[in-house]
Amino acid sequence: MINSVGCVGRRTERYFWEYSPYSFSASFTKWKQRIALIILNQPLDKDYLHILWSKALLTACADGAANHLYNVTSGESDIFRPDYISGDFDSITPEVRDFYANKGSRLIETSDQDLTDYTKCLVIMVEEIQQRNLQVDAIVTLGGLAGRFDQTMATVETLHHALSMTQLPLFVIQETNLAFLLKPGNHTIRVNTGLEGDWCSLIPVGGPCQTTTTGLKWNLNNQVLQFGKLVSTSNTYESTSPGQPRKCVTVTTDQPLLWSMGILRGL
Amino acid sequence: MAEVPLFLGCVGRRTERYFWEYSPYSFSASFTKSLLTACADGAANHLYNVTSGESDIFRPDYISGDFDSITPEVRDFYANKGSRLIETSDQDLTDYTKCLVIMVEEIQQRNLQVDAIVTLGGLAGRFDQTMATVETLHHALSMTQLPLFVIQETNLAFLLKPGNHTIRVNTGLEGDWCSLIPVGGPCQTTTTGLKWNLNNQVLQFGKLVSTSNTYESTSPGQPRKCVTVTTDQPLLWSMGILRGL
Repeated sequence: MINSVGCVGRRTERYFWEYSPYSFSASFTKWKQRIALIILNQPLDKDYLHILWSKALLTACADGAANHLYNVTSGESDIFRPDYISGDFDSITPEVRDFYANKGSRLIETSDQDLTDYTKCLVIMVEEIQQRNLQVDAIVTLGGLAGRFDQTMATVETLHHALSMTQLPLFVIQETNLAFLLKPGNHTIRVNTGLEGDWCSLIPVGGPCQTTTTGLKWNLNNQVLQFGKLVSTSNTYESTSPGQPRKCVTVTTDQPLLWSMGILRGL
Repeated sequence: MAEVPLFLGCVGRRTERYFWEYSPYSFSASFTKSLLTACADGAANHLYNVTSGESDIFRPDYISGDFDSITPEVRDFYANKGSRLIETSDQDLTDYTKCLVIMVEEIQQRNLQVDAIVTLGGLAGRFDQTMATVETLHHALSMTQLPLFVIQETNLAFLLKPGNHTIRVNTGLEGDWCSLIPVGGPCQTTTTGLKWNLNNQVLQFGKLVSTSNTYESTSPGQPRKCVTVTTDQPLLWSMGILRGL
């Protein structure tokens, strides 16, 4: 089992990110890493779900996500009961809604038409974390990067809103994709867990980003990333000598910059 | 196969009006309507798999890329059928952009009278590849005057260049959602015909993005009005389309 470290030092704006699909169980006692978990209305990966759920101090479904949760956890529904389900309840089936309500999940109706189900779910989550003083290291979201194209873009919009809502990092995972919005400043991303896929990417969604990187195969040297000019996709990690661990990736940006990477599934 | 509506993508450049009718069955119709067809690398594998038995009809004019995805069998199969294999090794451009460069050149050189370039795929799967598709749409604005539509599953995307646009949405083949996404930067935007219109407002990530929008309702029996969009910067229009009517 590989240890997982997700550690954020706010003053120095350094993020160490190690992600292992199995690491949450390994790190349970040693590192005491805890998360808050949001599930969105997309097909659910059972492997991710089990591991992330065991680390979660708070769990939530955005509307129809509850249908997916119900379907993949039949027989284990006492364990996989979300703390709350939020949304306008136009996707969740009445059966699933009543099932979880009877099990004690709170149903929180959020009818604000200007915000997506995901953003509204996140607003509630941030409030709960604060009110209950939960010691979580990150908020992890399952789903949101596939399916309806406008919903994928809405996920990215929620990541932008999150920058002003919470200091906690917000990771989005679906299939073998992981996305994380880097706020302006310096970032260090550890990519030597062996669980990274073979691609990574820096995408200036929202506007131009003056960017410098190290640790990538194709680094940026104080260059502007901007749609229509330069976007970094199908990038990968700097090669290392045999037996040497990969160096961290560092990224400096002056505007919010979307980092995405492939992650391995089912080791 | 049932009678299919015509696939028609028609653009009047001076007035910037687009009429768009799309049928999910029109792939067959549109393949035969296509004056030029191409696969980007491993796309040829997918084409081969879904068209087995009809491969003489569905033979691409060319296959381009670095050929690290296409299988040798598929590559040889189409080469023997007459498809050109064009290797493009430029690491700074995606397979899609490079394929589009070739297509634009071919259209010009052969003076092909096409109304639009349609792309199947590019909006799902690896997240960075979806973003790379959007980047190609941006590059396309300076490469060709032809509209470039991207379609995958029930998603359609099209990058609106700065100016006024009219989009017909009354074919009965539209899905129930549409969206305006300022991917590259803020867009001063005005719309009509949407349920939630914009009135000279700035669309910008972190402030306001239009997703899960839909069409203005109409009286029973009345056709939907066109959607109009005015933008000062490239603005990504996407919409749901129906499949399997």
